[in-house]
Amino acid sequence: MNRKEFLSDCGKMGMAGVALSLFPWLESCSEKAKQEVQGEKVQIGIIGTGSRGLFHIKHLVQMPNVEVVALCDNYRPHLEDAAQYYPEAKLYDDYRRMLENKDVKGVIIATPLYLHAPMTIAAMEAGKAVFCEKSMAYTMDEALEVYNCRKELGGVLFIGQQRLFDPKYVKAMQMIHEGVIGEVVGVRNYWYRNNNWRREVPSPELERHINWRLYSEYSRGLMTELACHQLQNGSWAMGQLPKQVMGAGSLIHWDKEDERDVYDNVCAIFTYPNGVNMTFESIISNKHFGMGEQILGTKGTIDLVTAMHYTDEPAPKGSGMHQLIEQIESGVMSNSVFAGTSWAAESSALAPGMPIMQNVKVVSGESSVGAEADGSKELLEAFLHAVVTGKQPEKVLEESYYATQFALLADKAMHENAILTLDEKYKVPYTPF
Amino acid sequence: MAAGFRYSDKNVLHPISFVELDAMHTHVELLLTGLSREQGEKFAQEAERRIKDMERRFNRYDMKSPLAVVNSRAAVESVGVDDELFMALELCEVFRVATKGYFSVATDTAGLEHTPYILDGATHGVKFLTDGVQLDMGGFAKGFALDQVLKLSRESEAASALLNFGNSSVAAVGHHPYGEWWAVGVENTAQRGTLAYEAHLCDAAMSVSGRTPAGEYHIVDPHTGLKVAQDGMIVVEGRSALVAEVLSTALYAAPESKRESIMQQFEGYSATEIICHKAGGVEKRIIK
Repeated sequence: MNRKEFLSDCGKMGMAGVALSLFPWLESCSEKAKQEVQGEKVQIGIIGTGSRGLFHIKHLVQMPNVEVVALCDNYRPHLEDAAQYYPEAKLYDDYRRMLENKDVKGVIIATPLYLHAPMTIAAMEAGKAVFCEKSMAYTMDEALEVYNCRKELGGVLFIGQQRLFDPKYVKAMQMIHEGVIGEVVGVRNYWYRNNNWRREVPSPELERHINWRLYSEYSRGLMTELACHQLQNGSWAMGQLPKQVMGAGSLIHWDKEDERDVYDNVCAIFTYPNGVNMTFESIISNKHFGMGEQILGTKGTIDLVTAMHYTDEPAPKGSGMHQLIEQIESGVMSNSVFAGTSWAAESSALAPGMPIMQNVKVVSGESSVGAEADGSKELLEAFLHAVVTGKQPEKVLEESYYATQFALLADKAMHENAILTLDEKYKVPYTPF
Repeated sequence: MAAGFRYSDKNVLHPISFVELDAMHTHVELLLTGLSREQGEKFAQEAERRIKDMERRFNRYDMKSPLAVVNSRAAVESVGVDDELFMALELCEVFRVATKGYFSVATDTAGLEHTPYILDGATHGVKFLTDGVQLDMGGFAKGFALDQVLKLSRESEAASALLNFGNSSVAAVGHHPYGEWWAVGVENTAQRGTLAYEAHLCDAAMSVSGRTPAGEYHIVDPHTGLKVAQDGMIVVEGRSALVAEVLSTALYAAPESKRESIMQQFEGYSATEIICHKAGGVEKRIIK
């Protein structure tokens, strides 16, 4: 099921309005919104055509309403790779030059983290709609600067927090807001891999250029590259922002083979005003548990990655027979699913769980480029829609902003070995769902 | 009035009497159509009384039950029991033989070549032949009780009835008011909420055996004393809820090679193995 099908299903049940009121950034997918941009062709430029940029290009080539007119990268082999998909596009090695191109209405920025803020601000100042990969910025000050720049100039700014557009997350959060799992009492996130997180380097002088993720001069490592995606789960589920953050990080394994200086082992706890804790753990020298994101409630648990709902309460007794009564009362006959092996009180650990929707594609989290069906394509579609309409979707930027701020704050807490709160100066208006 | 009784005459042509209760370690639901409120209440009271009575009688953990008395003394002496329990034990022995030992109410009999207990018809006495043997009639009692309630339903003036003992044993009197049968779906264990199999019951019963809804293996092979690690479900349909229950349990425990010959012993019953694949799809193997 994709986002359109999800909204269509909501519509059939008379729930499309509810879904859109909860998650207004999905508006771009409504029938009305589609008509609004029908026949429009969006002209896009891409800054950064490495692995993530190419990942977006592979989605873009499937979209008839987009024309990539400009490509930019200061590493020639990457630029040439991208040019194969769009031979007509103008090629640049300086993003400032590309931003002068009036044909470019929107830009996609998929560059190293330390370049996100300056490039985003320059693009907004050049009047372009911007989709920048996450995290939003390399520092907390830069993130605020980007946010304020967007506020001042208006225009469209998307950050690559694709879970906000992933149908299974949307459905899960809707269920959580409806109270299906009761009161939220915990949020668990983890992301394990067992690889060195390196890209192949053709010559030693390109080490930092290509493997920028491994060096704190360009990136904040696991917190900005992985945690940022998962940290929005707590605020999305509870409509609150963490009041404090603590954590520990270390470099325990991969430093043996290179000179990296970002942690390869991190653990952070985010505490919300209501006392609920959200955890994030990442180790890249063991992959057994893969990627996990779970919202724990007083009545059950929703696993966001697998889109499964586990109840802490026994299976409803006799629900099939009760349906049967309703059928007879209404003068109809249809099948009631209720037979099976013996009913018995279940322990939650053994409860088999129920899928929250059909045709779910589960993402392992193993790829460091991106995965199909993780919401990236839907996010891109929403951005292209916004480029045409010029409308910034509600709330989505604030979610992305705080995901970045708390990823950076946790990284700071780890380095300072301290319990930290977000400074007042970084607080921007936040509307709970 | 029975505690879990509910009456609905929203559909005046087919008023519904419904009773539910927890008994025999499961949840019991009885739905009858065509009775007046008074008739429905009377049925509910009598059904509940009988079910509770059988629960006490066959509960080996209730130290006052005749079964508990047998379990505590039959290893050292022949214990006399009443007609109903003796008849039930005789029936269990018939089932044990007919199912090649894959249905047995005697526990801890792994490796035994002979019957683990003797029944003395003259004295209605029970005597264990091996130390450590205990009788657990849980697997028998549910089907037995369901047959009793089925009989009670037929004796009432109900136009039709659907009787559900814990979802795994279901029996029907007549047919759905708006159909030629009662359509009972068996849930797909790999994709909850979807259908793996549909039984059409009309004056018939069905039983399902497999892993528990929580995924645990719980059926023991009497020959080995070990839990059977089969992922498929066995569905048996036929006249008697008790026989269906016995057969589904025995066929689940028995190896594939012996299933057909077990079924040959029982006329008028059909059995199907259902395998729900995690990757999608349901495989149905007709045993007989």
